[in-house]
Amino acid sequence: MPRIDSHLHVFTKATPEYPRETTPVCPAEREESAEKLLDVMAEHQIDQAVLVQMGGASIENHRYLLQCLKEYPNRFLGIGLVPEGHPNPAEHMAELTDNTGIIGFRFSTFGGPRDIFAKMDVRKFAAYPIWKCAAERDYVLWLYPNAINAHLLPYLIQEFPQVRVVLNHLAACPGKGKFSWDEFGRPQIQVTGYNLFMHTTYRLARFENVNVHLSGQYAFSREEFPYKDLAGWHRGLLGGFGAKRLMWATDFPWILEEPGYGKLTTVIEELIPNLSEAELAGIMGGNAKRILRFPDL
Amino acid sequence: MILPTPEQKAQWEKEGYLVFENAIQGEDLKRLQNAFDYWADACKAEWLDRVEAGDAAATFYDIPNPLEKDPIFIDIIDYPSYYGALMEFTDHELILLGPQVRTVAPWPVSYTGWHPDVGYDNPLHIKVQIYVNDVEPGGGEFGFVPGSHKPDSGPYARPMRQESMTGHKTFPGKAGTAIMFNSCGWHVSMDNHSDTPRKSIILIYEKRTPGRIGPEQFAAISEYCQTPERRALFSLDS
Repeated sequence: MPRIDSHLHVFTKATPEYPRETTPVCPAEREESAEKLLDVMAEHQIDQAVLVQMGGASIENHRYLLQCLKEYPNRFLGIGLVPEGHPNPAEHMAELTDNTGIIGFRFSTFGGPRDIFAKMDVRKFAAYPIWKCAAERDYVLWLYPNAINAHLLPYLIQEFPQVRVVLNHLAACPGKGKFSWDEFGRPQIQVTGYNLFMHTTYRLARFENVNVHLSGQYAFSREEFPYKDLAGWHRGLLGGFGAKRLMWATDFPWILEEPGYGKLTTVIEELIPNLSEAELAGIMGGNAKRILRFPDL
Repeated sequence: MILPTPEQKAQWEKEGYLVFENAIQGEDLKRLQNAFDYWADACKAEWLDRVEAGDAAATFYDIPNPLEKDPIFIDIIDYPSYYGALMEFTDHELILLGPQVRTVAPWPVSYTGWHPDVGYDNPLHIKVQIYVNDVEPGGGEFGFVPGSHKPDSGPYARPMRQESMTGHKTFPGKAGTAIMFNSCGWHVSMDNHSDTPRKSIILIYEKRTPGRIGPEQFAAISEYCQTPERRALFSLDS
């Protein structure tokens, strides 16, 4: 069974050939290339990976991702972005998925009522056309919902039960103003001590098309690796979704310095020690291969 | 104080729950509904801001510090229709841990799955859920597995769907119904597929153990607790 890192990022220097947005953490001269990733993966016996676009949502911003997917078609699948408020998201998505290796798109908002007590008409959600398109063209939706959007998800999932959904980073939903970067250049998300997600995203386990990443622990934990304070989150996800709908990921490159890629290849065994061999193998790659339809090596 | 009948005591022992229909009615129920609606409305905007900030769940909300907002929320803590049973079952060593004055939104799935609140080694832990509005079947009604409060029951698995729980019973009811249950037992809020939010109050009690609740916990309402019984219930003299 392959070992698959199911969520990470690569990017190259910002150039006219590969334009991308820059930030203090990702200045124009920073590069975290596919080749560097492949070296790290080889060192730790990881076979394949999902490359998730960052650095902008325009077609041009996707050039480096598309180049990596073209160059290593058996090693990588890709997840793209759609510009917020795009007048024709279906066209944008079609262009990016035309035999490119991009299999889906990442979102954090759904454009529905902020208040769960409001009348819900899913067809009026801003994200409705995107979900409809995903249903028609079999795209995967890669979701990292903002906290104020989490309650909208089951309406879309109910409407489009055929869409494969992957909830990123422990099915967490970051709150407004709770994001920062730490001294190792890693995203940090401030969360409450009581796990609120068990009343929102964890409840989506009922829908069989919903899957969850076991990743991003470093961003939520108040401890160092192996992030034992999140063992309860992992048990909750395992209990709700079962071992066949969970996928391990590292969120490379943010974790390269701390705790290091190698340590993260053991984080599942550390946090869910009682898995059977088959369950562990599934979480470490088998599930991603089945759900995302990775090619054979 | 209305003590439980022998039949109620037997059911409590065997099943782990009791239902008190019309536990609160008439003017008291109107007072409770008015206070609930007023404060739920007043607190909603702040709750939504907390949801956006990731500090509160989006699927339900509780009125913060309800005991300090209206005396009716204090009066229901030792309300005669169920207070005697609470005292009897805890050997007259009853303390309040806290109230949850909760509005649960209609949503495709319930905001919580089947669970017990405490382990069998916990001191007797009792909840009383009071419906503030009518709760129809499929309207987020309380669900419980009779007998699951006993250590030799089970084991119980968490089903994907609320209605798949083995041996469960659901409790739709009219406004003013109170459902008392042993919190070791497996319970849940059923899905609410109606258009009506479920308004209920969950009162949480325990059999007294030293130091469980400090006198500062409910000090803000001490003026409403003049009798020795109430001071004991609210741990004001501990």
